[in-house]
Amino acid sequence: MSTQIKSPGIVVDYVKTIGIVNNGFNGRGFANPYDIIVHNDSRIFILNRCDPARASAIRVGICTLDEEYLGEFGKGFGTGDGQFVWAVAMALDSQDRIFITDEHSNRVTIYNTDGEYISNWGNSGSGDGELNGPAGIAVDSSGNVFVVDQHNARVQKFTAEGQFIANWGSFGNGEGQFNLPWGAAMDSDDNIYIADWRNDRIQKFTNDGKFLAAFGSTGYGDGQFQRPTGVAVDPEGFIYVADWGNERVQILSADGSFQLILRGEATISKWASEYLASNLEEKAERDISNLIPELPAHLNTPYHISSQTEPYFWGPVSVSLDREGRLYVTETNRHRFQVYQKR
Amino acid sequence: MISNDTALMAHLLRRAGFGASRDELEGYIAMGYKGAVDALLNPTDPGNMPDDLIRRYHVEQSELRDLPGSAAYWMYRMISTACPMEEKIALFWHGLFATGYTKLNQARTQLNQVDMFRRSGLGSFEDLLLELSRDPAMIIWLDNNENHGDSINENYGRELLELFSMGIGNYSEDDIKECARAFTGWTLGNAEYMAIRAAKDSIWPYGRIAWHFDYREDDHDDGEKTFLGETGNFNGEDIIAIIVKQESTARFLATRLFQFFAADEVSKAGENAVEAMVATYFSSGYKISDMLQTLFLSDYFKSEEARFARVKGPVEMVVGAIRMAGNYQNPSLGIEKVSDNMFFMGQGLLRPPTVEGWHEGVEWIDSGALVERVNFVAKVLSDVKSPGVRSIIDWLEAGADDGVLNPSDLADGCLDLLGPIQVSDETRSVLVDYAARLGDLDLNGHQPGDQAEQRVGNMLRLVAATREYQLA
Repeated sequence: MSTQIKSPGIVVDYVKTIGIVNNGFNGRGFANPYDIIVHNDSRIFILNRCDPARASAIRVGICTLDEEYLGEFGKGFGTGDGQFVWAVAMALDSQDRIFITDEHSNRVTIYNTDGEYISNWGNSGSGDGELNGPAGIAVDSSGNVFVVDQHNARVQKFTAEGQFIANWGSFGNGEGQFNLPWGAAMDSDDNIYIADWRNDRIQKFTNDGKFLAAFGSTGYGDGQFQRPTGVAVDPEGFIYVADWGNERVQILSADGSFQLILRGEATISKWASEYLASNLEEKAERDISNLIPELPAHLNTPYHISSQTEPYFWGPVSVSLDREGRLYVTETNRHRFQVYQKR
Repeated sequence: MISNDTALMAHLLRRAGFGASRDELEGYIAMGYKGAVDALLNPTDPGNMPDDLIRRYHVEQSELRDLPGSAAYWMYRMISTACPMEEKIALFWHGLFATGYTKLNQARTQLNQVDMFRRSGLGSFEDLLLELSRDPAMIIWLDNNENHGDSINENYGRELLELFSMGIGNYSEDDIKECARAFTGWTLGNAEYMAIRAAKDSIWPYGRIAWHFDYREDDHDDGEKTFLGETGNFNGEDIIAIIVKQESTARFLATRLFQFFAADEVSKAGENAVEAMVATYFSSGYKISDMLQTLFLSDYFKSEEARFARVKGPVEMVVGAIRMAGNYQNPSLGIEKVSDNMFFMGQGLLRPPTVEGWHEGVEWIDSGALVERVNFVAKVLSDVKSPGVRSIIDWLEAGADDGVLNPSDLADGCLDLLGPIQVSDETRSVLVDYAARLGDLDLNGHQPGDQAEQRVGNMLRLVAATREYQLA
């Protein structure tokens, strides 16, 4: 399901849904996924934030577009090497290293794509190179690592080894200012886009932090946002925004003009299908249920609608792209992701 | 010397809220007593911790799949609200219209019910009963999804009369059946699928799907019914309109409100307040806030007899201590463990033990629960790093001669700033003797966490362990 302007410059088609809630501590399925990266070899890495009851299961899962579950890695909950408390986002560099932020431990942890722990860096604080709530993370074509330092209201640029290079930003809503920023993405020119979460906008900067543009304002309308969490930019410059508070994804053109909205249209994943095949009574009632119901007025907010409407996005926290033009929308509250294909 | 104004306002805020810090108390005193009652009963902007912040850091409180995160979500609201009566009335209805997670496995819908209590809990009792009858959590809890036009299920009809409005002895078994017939077809969307998922505690494939009300006209018995002496083709709305007209309903509601907001037991003097609330019920068009205004402005409520006449419930105990300490003002790791503490004390939010709710009053206290209560509050209030305790230290310093408190000043000051709390002479002398062991307390130049501050923390810990602190 989508809404769009009359002649959008982009068309995307729903492909499939992958996932199932994982109530245990390992294996197939996801536990409050927070971010996705897709390797050029087509492996999909899913960061499972996990809730407190399953905190020790915090990990990165790996699967394919064909819904084959390949495995997972991580060293559990905590502040030891390779462990996480509140993991937020991932970025992949050209050396097959995965950088993972932890907004509670104030550091970046690095694994390789074989799941081997490499190192971590980051110290708590507000000085140059120190972190307070690292959230979004992105890597440019030179291998520099950009970390969204949310509580310090800035973006910091590091080497892959964590050596401080530069930073910019302060608290506020002016150009180049931030209010609890979250997601980050690079475009093909190495400009960086930041989801300025509590300012309900996306800001675009050059690689060294010069302000270029801001897109969006607070609201429910086309091109407006409620707490955007994630952003991605494709080779043509289209900007994909996880409009989290509106429980939708918006696509903007390179100049920021609105193109279309995705509301989510999840179908039964392979793993979900296997579950239902072994729970036939539940399946029978599900098959005759209306899963896109009309709701009473007091439940007509995006959050309530999504809590009751299973096909829609619920907690669409990040958007990721692969080199085939596919869009991956991670849904924290539904333990799955929906895949779209750009035409 | 504690002024009457301060003591009375603190009493009001223990009942219409969760107690108050001295700064909050001063704000309410400035309004005057009647002004404070009006402000509490007409909540405006609660200014509580916003949902977006909670959801960002607590995935469990965004999804609300399980109980601990869901109880913690409500706790955040209680801790951070500037309109405590809104939460207190929701807690009252949660106890009276007790609906439990253990059967529902559906916290989002339960929290929607709590939202309904906030929205309608101080309005017309008729409107509230209508909302309750349409509440999907209540529908599954009391099996109204099984109440069909051709085969009634009496559970909801029975409890509506017995536990939620009139009280036993004021209706017949036939009235229950007719009431149940009137509520046939009052169900929830996708009722059969949701009932199976609830029964199996199924979170598959994609987590919970929250519930909403659905009226199935084709499953409603539209035939003639006779209920409490009136006859017609009644639907649920008509039944509720008849229920709220009954004297027994007014008395039931007034008594339950009195026991939650005034005193565990209705004394002879308290009877006058109950009678006045019954009269207000009818004169106001069944308005709950007007009944509470009558109570709070009554001579009985303001009297010494009503002070400390209730045992604090565990939720009041925990939330009151955290608000006093000023903790958890931002999303914090481990909040769900705090909500577990209330459960260990006997009151787990969203999990009342039965449809009758919790047994309150002195039944809150047994040896195990008492240890939990004292340990929790003593730990919270003795933490001199917490902002609320730091504020208490500042108040003590400001009230001391040259920054020095003698043992009596220290004990009395802590009793004052945690309430004021009235304790027996014997208890007070224990507190003063304890303070005297280290002589006068010099707060000049005190630093965070130093020995002088820790002496205040230790005294607050001791006050939290008194019998009197257990009472509201």
